[in-house]
Amino acid sequence: MSESKTTSLYDFHLSKNAKIIDFAGWSMPFSYDGTLKEHHYVRESAGYFDVSHMGRLRLNYSQIEDINYLICSDLKNLSNTKALYSIFTSEEGTAIDDVIFWKFEDDLILICNASNTSKIKTHLDIHSITYEDLTTSTDLIAVQGKNAIDIVSNIMSIPDKFSTLKEGNYVYARTGYTGEDGLEVMLDTKDTLSFISELEAKGIKPCGLGSRDTLRLEASLPLYGFELTDEISPIEAGLKWTVTNKDDYLGKNVIDQQIESKEHKHLKRFKLHAKQIARTGTICVSDGVEGIVTSGNISPILGYPIGFVLFKSNPADDLVEFDIRGNLIEGNLIYKRFLS
Amino acid sequence: MSETKYLETHEWYIVDGDNVTVGISDYAQGELGDIVFVTLPEVGQEFNKGDAIVEVEATKTVAEAYAPMNCVITEVNLTLETEPELINNDPVGEGWMVKAEIKEMDDSGMSYQQYESFIS
Repeated sequence: MSESKTTSLYDFHLSKNAKIIDFAGWSMPFSYDGTLKEHHYVRESAGYFDVSHMGRLRLNYSQIEDINYLICSDLKNLSNTKALYSIFTSEEGTAIDDVIFWKFEDDLILICNASNTSKIKTHLDIHSITYEDLTTSTDLIAVQGKNAIDIVSNIMSIPDKFSTLKEGNYVYARTGYTGEDGLEVMLDTKDTLSFISELEAKGIKPCGLGSRDTLRLEASLPLYGFELTDEISPIEAGLKWTVTNKDDYLGKNVIDQQIESKEHKHLKRFKLHAKQIARTGTICVSDGVEGIVTSGNISPILGYPIGFVLFKSNPADDLVEFDIRGNLIEGNLIYKRFLS
Repeated sequence: MSETKYLETHEWYIVDGDNVTVGISDYAQGELGDIVFVTLPEVGQEFNKGDAIVEVEATKTVAEAYAPMNCVITEVNLTLETEPELINNDPVGEGWMVKAEIKEMDDSGMSYQQYESFIS
């Protein structure tokens, strides 16, 4: 077993009494003040997350055609200074990883899931795409929350939503993974502590991966390894909106066929009529169609359990029965986002 | 009342004559994180040592609390139905889970000192 990796902020997290967990081979803060409190910091004010475990690769702009062939979205025609959520697809049309691209005049920053960094690097190598791995020389801090932009505007310029900027020590975009407005900021590891003390001085609280998960779930956002895997396509995961690539790309045939036929797995959102949580792996049935819960937790804002469930085909009914440790619990499929 | 004893499965119990009060330890609540729901047993339900008596749902995971000895439930902490966070805030006090009548005494739990070295 190789030793768990740490970000440059590991000692800082310990000094904050963070509860540390192993996540994708990284020792990361799970919580500081508690997951629910941190959830509310972000929904009501602002919090910051150390997400430096995520992979960060710099790609030369000249390779954009080759990169565009590997993803289901149209990165090529995206204007410069924009950020884009997309999915690297396999030949079978399934997800290799879901990622964010930050587009600049002369280069691209690719941010991938920590669990997939080596897989993505190998994938790029195979397709002769060169990159500079910035994962250990930089940190990535997500500042998120209802008031995040207001507060951070005292520290740095604020780009438009889904736009990128380079300013001083910061390379960043107005993106996030909580359902709230905010920035994700990449900076040299030597500059991180002073950036964080500026955030803390303005009352922004540290938040861990526990609240990052409850926030993203409540915001109806998928997590790779759960809602998206190398056996689930963007269409199956309900992410048809990411399929904007007009050129040929890896897995296009399968994805086009799925869009056409609608015969594929279907990821749905659900809520439960009980307090029990239907956790990952919980089996359920709707209208005779079997499903399996990919993620489930309490929604701290709504006060009831919510989650994602993957059905073998599209169920005709919105009533679902979940088998939670031997008890049958009723739930409903939700067609809107959890939070309005 | 006797001293508070601890089990390897992270429950605490206090024996008071023929009765026992059961909850989960401070360490256990810390490991679980925010507790959002508990499924309590019914008064009159009978449990053998090691049976699951309470199901604890936390944001991080779900866990069970086990009976420290053979017993019959006489009272459950109904406040936990609306304020499950009491288990986080005061696990060995207001966060108690059940009181039960002892059917077969088994006071083999660890002292606090023993439990502390067990978890460290």
